[in-house]
Amino acid sequence: MSPTSPPASTALPVAAGRRSATVLWRTAAAHPTDLARALATTLLSSAGTVALPLLLGRAVDVVRAGDSLTPLVVQLSVVALLTALTTALARRDAERLGATVAADLRERVVERSLRMDPRVLERAGSGDVASRVTEDVELFTGSVQLGSNVLTALVTVLLSAVGFLTLDWRLALAFCVVFPVYAGSLRWYLPKAGPLYATERTVASARSQVVLQSLHGASTVHAYGMADLQGDRVAVASERTVGASRAALRTFARFSMSMNGAEAVGLSALLFTGFWLVRGDVVTVGAVTAAALLFHRLFGPLGTLLLSFDEVSRAAAALNRLVGVVDLPAGPATDPEVLARAPRRDVGLVVRGLRHSYSDGPDAVPVLRDVDLDVPAGTSLAVVGESGAGKTTLAALVGGVFPPSAGTVTLQGPDGAVDLTTLDAADVRDRVGVIAQESHVFTGTLREDLTLARPDATDEQVHAALAVVGADDWVAALPDGLDTRVGPGELPLSPARAQQLALARLVLRDPPVVVLDEATAEAGSAGARDLEQAALAVVRGRTALVVAHRLSQAAVCDRIAVVAQGRVEELGTHDELLARRGRYARLWDVWSQSAQPTLPAQPTQAPGAAAES
Amino acid sequence: MSSRPVLDVLRRHRRAAAVGCGSSMLHQTCEALVPVAIGLAVDRAVATGDVRAIVVSVVAVLVLFAVLSSAGTFAFWVVDRAQFDEAHHLRTAVARAVLRDPAVLRDRQVGDALSVTTSDTRHTAEALGLVSFLASGCFGLLVAAVVLLRIDVALGLGLLVAVPVLVLGLQALTPRLEARVHDRQRTAGLAAAVAADLLAGLRPLRGFGGVPEAVRRYHLASSVSRRAAVGAAGATSVVVGVSTLATGAVLVATAAVAGGFVARGRLDVGEFVTVVGMASFLADPVRNISFCVQQLAVSRASARRVADLLRPDSPRRPLGDTTGAAPLETVAGEVLGVVTTDTATADAVTAAFAAVPGVLVEPAHTVLLGETLADALASGPVPAGRGVPLADALTAAAAPTDLDLPLADGGTNVSGGQRQRIGLARALAADRELLVLRDPTTALDAVTEDRVAAGVRALRAGSGTTVLVTSSPLLLSRCDRVVLLAADGRHATGSHHDLLDDPDYAAAVAR
Repeated sequence: MSPTSPPASTALPVAAGRRSATVLWRTAAAHPTDLARALATTLLSSAGTVALPLLLGRAVDVVRAGDSLTPLVVQLSVVALLTALTTALARRDAERLGATVAADLRERVVERSLRMDPRVLERAGSGDVASRVTEDVELFTGSVQLGSNVLTALVTVLLSAVGFLTLDWRLALAFCVVFPVYAGSLRWYLPKAGPLYATERTVASARSQVVLQSLHGASTVHAYGMADLQGDRVAVASERTVGASRAALRTFARFSMSMNGAEAVGLSALLFTGFWLVRGDVVTVGAVTAAALLFHRLFGPLGTLLLSFDEVSRAAAALNRLVGVVDLPAGPATDPEVLARAPRRDVGLVVRGLRHSYSDGPDAVPVLRDVDLDVPAGTSLAVVGESGAGKTTLAALVGGVFPPSAGTVTLQGPDGAVDLTTLDAADVRDRVGVIAQESHVFTGTLREDLTLARPDATDEQVHAALAVVGADDWVAALPDGLDTRVGPGELPLSPARAQQLALARLVLRDPPVVVLDEATAEAGSAGARDLEQAALAVVRGRTALVVAHRLSQAAVCDRIAVVAQGRVEELGTHDELLARRGRYARLWDVWSQSAQPTLPAQPTQAPGAAAES
Repeated sequence: MSSRPVLDVLRRHRRAAAVGCGSSMLHQTCEALVPVAIGLAVDRAVATGDVRAIVVSVVAVLVLFAVLSSAGTFAFWVVDRAQFDEAHHLRTAVARAVLRDPAVLRDRQVGDALSVTTSDTRHTAEALGLVSFLASGCFGLLVAAVVLLRIDVALGLGLLVAVPVLVLGLQALTPRLEARVHDRQRTAGLAAAVAADLLAGLRPLRGFGGVPEAVRRYHLASSVSRRAAVGAAGATSVVVGVSTLATGAVLVATAAVAGGFVARGRLDVGEFVTVVGMASFLADPVRNISFCVQQLAVSRASARRVADLLRPDSPRRPLGDTTGAAPLETVAGEVLGVVTTDTATADAVTAAFAAVPGVLVEPAHTVLLGETLADALASGPVPAGRGVPLADALTAAAAPTDLDLPLADGGTNVSGGQRQRIGLARALAADRELLVLRDPTTALDAVTEDRVAAGVRALRAGSGTTVLVTSSPLLLSRCDRVVLLAADGRHATGSHHDLLDDPDYAAAVAR
């Protein structure tokens, strides 16, 4: 991998500049009062900045003529006072507008990230999103303050052109010689700067990924004593950003020298023109002085304008990345007519002709094919099979995590049926709850973690949900109870407890259908059977599809589907499948072999009891 | 680490800081001479109509700008390079500190730590540029004062008194500003932490339909951050307004006094132009100084956050509960099974082993590092005289063998079973004398588990001691010796088959 081109093929989209500008303007225009105030105060403060040198130039003529300076000093004082006042207001209003715009945008970025197509997110990686949400947002926030400076500078330069005209049109013309110089250096600089800053951002994003990974995996690194190795990875990624920044800096340094060139040319032109105009008695010495002083005052605003091309390039790169996320297509909301048919209670699952592959194209290898399944309302179906058989994909498709390449998953109720893919994410989750392989403890109090699933839940409901999954004992034993802070850096929870919380969230959310994929996998041995009980309690009374690696979990389900190489090979009750002496029976033999003497799940009882209830 | 982290930055880069300050002072001197040049040109050339004088003036202006530009660009180049290097140094130091001892993170959320590692290190390094900018601003004022004193002592003294008073007055405003800025950074960090946490748990979050509530919570955190930014904007605007007013007052007062002096013949018109131009120029260094003072507040706030992570002497909470259990006696070369009747005992045993130097405990929750399978399997130097070929470790763990297999974000793009097997292969390849595996096969199906159990046994035989904290009969039946640790403190030792007669053991390993 070359230092300047980290893998970009899987990164999230980046918006075009024009599109970003539109989004930025619309976001600002959504706050018309703030926008108008910021613009008005900026205009006034610029007017003050231009008026001061013009008044000073007039002072030269006044003192040369021997007149009283008092009226002019009064005018100067008033202008200086108003300039200070409007400059302060402009700064405050612009920063407020900037903070509001930045907040609006980052909220949209995060919301869109959370609602993003999961396949897009997984391809891009959460580090990319995290870097957009932290670094790019920060860069952008800083640049909106800069934006106000740019606006002030632009207005000041435009107003001073008017100022030169009030002195003499030839002086205005002499002032204008700076523009070709500026234009020339910008034409040289901008095409170089864009790619350089884009690279800088991409490398920085790769660096964030490594840093984020290191923070998440700090305990693993510690366990292996590989702090040096992982530290070197961070150092390499960071070194790469230093290289990219230096490349950008070299180009910028050359560009900034040309700006001083323009200043020198402009000042010389004004003095030279003024000299001949005064010799020809066309203008006063005061007018030339005013012109020179005004131009001298313009060094700042002109510098801001040109130097900001640099920072604006940076900010634009950040904004393009933010808008890239904002513009990710959102799934359509559920058609009300479809929603009316969508069952909420007694929901069964009907799967027909399901097929899926993770890549497109004719030669894509299907992970799953020709799957037909029925899970009648209130019954459970276990899915078993070897690793890589397609169980997780099946669970994800049935759970509506992502749509299948072909085939349908239908929610079948007493009053109607709908295809899962016609519902939006929220409507799917009202009906189907999914627990996938990894668990996460959300940072905050235990209550906050659980009520993510149901914000209006009372403490009684939360405790009841914890009781269902058998977590009430240890939660009650915590000194702060539900107010205990959990998550990274807070009270550490074992994987089994984290998994219990996941199940409790599902109980709180209370969907009629649940899909559990290896819900006990992370539990560790000692807790696995407790979790199995907890999962069983969650499954009870619901329609359930359970991916089971522990066959004891499969045995208590109403029916079992054996998946191999992407197909359902066997389907039936535990007894039927054992009697068939096929793939399931072989799996069962391996599973129970070493624990045979005290096998708890009496295979002849558990499934039968469930079927009769 | 001293309590003045910004000073440490300057000390580390004293040469760059000195060179940067020097050339930016030269740059600022030239800037200060620009109004002198304008005054001279107006007085000697424009007002007199002397052609030779105007030619000399224009050439002088061009030379002045050539020096100005070179010095400025050089200062910029030197200082920015040092800033990049310093940010890199701090970033790497913070990352290494966290990696050497995860307890450093203490109460921090990952997003918060991320923002310290990326943003705050940058802000801290920026102190270098700010200090050289500050120095050149002060020097510019000095040059201006000297020029003014040569023109008129009273005027020069007036400015020499007025300007420091103004600068000190601006300084008095900054504690309020610093608090607001700190608040803005802190709340921004919190909002970023909320976002990072939600994104880390995105898949579970979507599974239970928590996205709408998550969005609401982020909006809350974001508005707190926005309000803090608005508060900081108010404080900033006061400082900006006062500094603009101060420079305006200096300008008007200078013009009034100098105008009076011209009327009384104490100054000529050229001197008037220089004085007025100089008073107007003074706004720049004064404003620069005020800007640097503001930004140094940002740098200081960031530097404190960075130093907080790097400080070695603050009390830390251990990451796991290590009380109560001593590591079990092991016989060299054996495969020892450990069965517990409750999770807490298993946790305690694992933590006790982890506390012993040289023992490798593969965490139960597998996190894979790096971008490819090859990266994920690398875990630093293997002890002398040891080593297991990667291919053997992968085969034993039934893990994928394509070393170029791309892994995203800690391996979340592969299945839980694959992740577990890759983690296991990593632990096997690390080949430590004593290896502790906690529930290494929970995400595997029975057939694969059986294969892995056989593989681990075969690979570890004769190469070291292996402790398996598990309840898997497939693993336990391959152990040389199994220890049962009951919650009531009772111990029992024997082979898996012998122990099956113990009802507690049978219950613990039953499936």
